Amino acid sequence: MSNPWIAIGALGLVALAIPVSMIVMSRLLRPSIPEQGKRAVYESGEVPTGDTRIRFNIQYYMVALLFVVFDIETVLIFPWTVIYSDAVSEVGLARALLPMLAFIGVLVVALGWAWRNGAVRWIRSPETTSQRVDQS
Amino acid sequence: MSAVAPVAAPLQSAPLPGTIAELLGLDPDAPAVLFVLAFLAAGAVISVLMGMTAVLGIWGKRKITAAFTDRIAVNRHGPYGLLIIPADAVRLLSKELIVPAQVDRPAWDLAPLVIASSALLGFAVIPMGNGVQIADPETGLAFVFATASIASLGLVMAGYASNNKFSFLGGLRAVAQNLAYEIPLVLTGASVVIFTGTLQMSGVVEAQQAALVSLGPVDIPSWFAFVNPFAFVLFMVANLAEVGRNPFDIPEAPTEIVAGYQTEYSSVYFVLIYLGEFIHIFLGGAIVATLFLGGPSGPVLPGIVWFFAKMIAVYLFTQWARSAVPRLRIDQLIQIGWKGMLVLSFANLVLTAVIVGVIQA
Repeated sequence: MSNPWIAIGALGLVALAIPVSMIVMSRLLRPSIPEQGKRAVYESGEVPTGDTRIRFNIQYYMVALLFVVFDIETVLIFPWTVIYSDAVSEVGLARALLPMLAFIGVLVVALGWAWRNGAVRWIRSPETTSQRVDQS
Repeated sequence: MSAVAPVAAPLQSAPLPGTIAELLGLDPDAPAVLFVLAFLAAGAVISVLMGMTAVLGIWGKRKITAAFTDRIAVNRHGPYGLLIIPADAVRLLSKELIVPAQVDRPAWDLAPLVIASSALLGFAVIPMGNGVQIADPETGLAFVFATASIASLGLVMAGYASNNKFSFLGGLRAVAQNLAYEIPLVLTGASVVIFTGTLQMSGVVEAQQAALVSLGPVDIPSWFAFVNPFAFVLFMVANLAEVGRNPFDIPEAPTEIVAGYQTEYSSVYFVLIYLGEFIHIFLGGAIVATLFLGGPSGPVLPGIVWFFAKMIAVYLFTQWARSAVPRLRIDQLIQIGWKGMLVLSFANLVLTAVIVGVIQA
């Protein structure tokens, strides 16, 4: 059979060419009328305050860190699922299944550890919590 | 259920470029011929998808939402207001592009391209029935999951480069959400691979053709939605989160953070992001149809009609959820994702493996 990646590459080119042609078409059509204040960042109509390159909630980082672990693990699970039913008939259920159960078991223990340490618990900032208490 | 050999004879004919080459009497193994024909086939497929997005994204979405909320929506231009589609397309493309101050220029310009192109790229390996499939590599399923997740990169680029606090929050939320629900999505997809024994999309479709049970004259096919309904439900929920529709529309959340990562985009860039989102929903629908609903198989009507019907059915489901289900908060999202969906998808994978193994052994 012919190489499928040539066809995928051709589709990738079309998928890139159509949005680019839309950008070019829009550039020919659209006006450009610079006015004072038009380029200001949108902050609900207020004068923008400060820059956006600021420190942000670390909890987003924790979630991303956890993702790296589990994403690599799904990559390792995929080849196993492909050969699984063939492997069961060849080497038996125990030898095909138990190593993967042990692997997933280790990961589940790790998830439990992250869970207990609060990596997947979203902590609200004390400020908003206290405000909520005041209101009620 | 027996495993399908990895290089099984495909149910449909060979991928589309090869078929066209044979019709024209050309050599399908010559790379240049294949490239040109695949280019033409891709143009046709993408045009159909763009047309579908125009109809369902610009017109259908308003009509559906209006029907859910007891309103009328567009009805002035042409029959059923259908002429709003060209009107809106011209209106949006001819809007002035406002570039906010201090945006990160290359990233800000590239983000809409990434979002729109990556969603289209996924359709390269989807078997749409009647031989309409651009390519059929052996790693088709892994490829389609990979391309579907490129969009999150575009969302971060858009959110971070805009230099806008709403965009920034939306971008961060988009990452947190897509990361948390990516793993259940892929793991549930892997549980289907245990049945099929192949990642090739034609093989996945073929594994769902046998009859599961016969009720008198009607054969219920062994679509994986019937074989493993638990995985189907998990996949639909994770898919809703991946395409960012209610209850998982936290990254956009119009009532909280304006429009999330796309707040600062106008004109053609807005069109591209909007288009990319809808094509992403269709790609999600196409993956669901291929993995769980037997792809293009179905009685009487030709396969391609069935495929599009299933894909649009999933789209309607997302629109239904959009109108009917309230939005989650970010803390609930993280909890449901990591403590609920992830554990359930592991349970699903292990249970599927054990059951298939016991039947096999």
